[in-house]
Amino acid sequence: MTQDSYYFIEKKDLQGFIDALTLKMSVFAPVRKGRGFRFEKLKNKQKLDLNGYINTEFPPKSILMPEGEALVRYKESMICEVFDDVKKAVFAIRPCDVHAMLLLDKVMMGHGDIEEHYEARRKNLIVIAMNCTEAGENCFCESMETDRLYGGFDLLFTENGNGYHVEAGSEEGKKIIDDSAKLFRKSSGMPAKTKPGCTKKIDTAGLPEIMKKAANSSIWEDTAKRCLSCASCTFVCPTCYCFSLKHEPDVTDLKNGEVKREMDYCMLLRFSKVAGDYVFRQHRTERVKQFFYHKLVYGLENEGKNHCVGCGRCITECMAGIDITEEAAKVRKKYAKV
Amino acid sequence: MPKSDRHTYKPVPAEVVRIIDEAPGIKTFRLRFERPGDRKRFDFLPGQFGLFSLMGIGEATFSMCSSPREEEIEISVRNVGNTTDAMFTMKKGDLIGVRGPYGKGFPLDVVKGKDVVIVAGGIGFPPLVSVLEYLLFRRKDYGKIWVIYGVKTVDDIVYRYKGPRWRKHKDVTITTTVEKKCREWNGCTGMVTDHIRKLKINPANTAGFSCGPPVMLKFVSEEFQKLGIEPENIHLSLERMMQCGIGKCGHCNIGDKYVCRDGPVFSLAELRRMQEDVW
Ligand SMILES: Cc1cc2nc3c(=O)[nH]c(=O)nc-3n(C[C@H](O)[C@H](O)[C@H](O)COP(=O)(O)OP(=O)(O)OC[C@H]3O[C@@H](n4cnc5c(N)ncnc54)[C@H](O)[C@@H]3O)c2cc1C
Ligand code: SF4
Ligand code: SF4
Ligand code: FES
Repeated sequence: MTQDSYYFIEKKDLQGFIDALTLKMSVFAPVRKGRGFRFEKLKNKQKLDLNGYINTEFPPKSILMPEGEALVRYKESMICEVFDDVKKAVFAIRPCDVHAMLLLDKVMMGHGDIEEHYEARRKNLIVIAMNCTEAGENCFCESMETDRLYGGFDLLFTENGNGYHVEAGSEEGKKIIDDSAKLFRKSSGMPAKTKPGCTKKIDTAGLPEIMKKAANSSIWEDTAKRCLSCASCTFVCPTCYCFSLKHEPDVTDLKNGEVKREMDYCMLLRFSKVAGDYVFRQHRTERVKQFFYHKLVYGLENEGKNHCVGCGRCITECMAGIDITEEAAKVRKKYAKV
Repeated sequence: MPKSDRHTYKPVPAEVVRIIDEAPGIKTFRLRFERPGDRKRFDFLPGQFGLFSLMGIGEATFSMCSSPREEEIEISVRNVGNTTDAMFTMKKGDLIGVRGPYGKGFPLDVVKGKDVVIVAGGIGFPPLVSVLEYLLFRRKDYGKIWVIYGVKTVDDIVYRYKGPRWRKHKDVTITTTVEKKCREWNGCTGMVTDHIRKLKINPANTAGFSCGPPVMLKFVSEEFQKLGIEPENIHLSLERMMQCGIGKCGHCNIGDKYVCRDGPVFSLAELRRMQEDVW
């Protein structure tokens, strides 16, 4: 963006900015919940509290693919497909999660076939990202090169002293600032980006080739022995998009009902089950392998980008202590030189 | 402005115009699209599939078994669960939802001029029947045709009424084989692989097509190779769990490939490059 794309807002004015935005559209922002933060739709004038916010417990993918969303509705013999074309904004989404969204775009709107439910929500989503000044204990975005954004946002906030530097990445972003012009002042640029300082790392150099050599490795068997097939990793991963279609009749009148989207998880046995109870990924080893290979090998081949953005959520959630960075390191150690 | 013609999952209605009881647990449904334009858009090639739905119950994947030239389409359904069970209660005149066609069919253009060996196991026959109808309609474009169709028991045999018409064509050999000998059957017995072994073919000019249970496909592809057919000329239609049919839901993945989008028909050469076990 050009010189006139940079702004500054003081922290004391942030609430006013969000309040103004909330009047115009649904705004999803990190809200303190349970052990941490979750993206929730803000109520009118709801107080924003970003104290201690590093990233949310659950990824923002539910804004684009909400659990149980209706895709098709039918009434007697009338069938119609339903789309959500409502304008929404997501505020304080982290760079890794914006990268994850750009990846979902490639899956859901690429390969010559557009999933129009995703597209409808995506086109109407204003992305207000916020750079990280501090890394979480399981973050490794620096390794995945997802710690900074070169696009994919309407506005990008960077904390600096008593306020935020803001960069507009689109005309729509500029317009949002213009609408609250009193709260912003022009600025000449963004502060130099500092690294969030991740302690975890994955050495990605040549990793897909090394992983391919490990396709039948006992590493996956060993990991599968610890895995509980709980699917938490796939549940919290911002790039996991698998789903099922569920027909749900209205119990009071079976002639009416909906076809819904339910998120689904490759870590579950039933995921690949076909008639005759034949399961293609019968062994947990195959399912564990599928997860790590999708994240670090297959995605790169299909979408030209790693499907792991280094958010660390799967590490945080895994009760068995399975850590994708450790798995990658084990594979490199054993197979880099063979 | 949102487009008004969006439809990712919305099916179009088709009427059941005929139901054929093929075998215990298998029925063929002949369907006519309510709107002729919908048939034009459902322009399929043998080996492609559709998603068929009963509102409030569910949706299931089937390969069309009729010739692509016909205005009406046919699917043969084995009753195995929720949706198929409900389909078995359908009567003539009932409506069913259809979307598709999806996937990549058998490479009928590529194998022009070649002899074709078709090997089907059980409910893997439908897509290959569509293939056969296509080959027979363009009889001059192809060489000899062998069909080897295997079933567990005599009762499982489908499309008995089609056999006589197929056999009338020159250079078409149809072999139906039943796994175990029994009193009511005086035809061939044994596994499909036993009969592939007996074929006298010119491997350099032959394509092998197959569809059936995973283990069968594994052994069929081995037998094809023993006859000397190159992996590039062996084409197999795979089954996987499917939900969306358009490469989005992830259910049908094999490694980095999507069976719904990159298949369901793959050459053995492609399958060998897969990054996950295929069978
Ligand atoms: C490309 C392709 C072509 C096929 N062609 C035919 C055909 O011509 N004739 C035929 O009888 N069958 C065919 N099948 C199999 C058929 O799709 C399943 O048997 C059917 O979906 C089961 O539906 P259901 O609702 O009755 O079963 P459910 O009650 O849903 O489940 C019964 C069993 O079927 C499995 N299943 C459910 N949905 C699917 C699905 N979408 N794909 C695979 N397995 C599933 C379940 O996991 C369960 O084990 C084909 C499958 C594929 C992938
Ligand atoms: S979160 Fe851990 S235990 Fe659960 S499925 Fe994933 S790897 Fe296995
Ligand atoms: S694989 Fe784990 S670390 Fe990578 S994006 Fe998914 S949840 Fe985040
Ligand atoms: S069936 Fe959904 S991705 Fe193939």
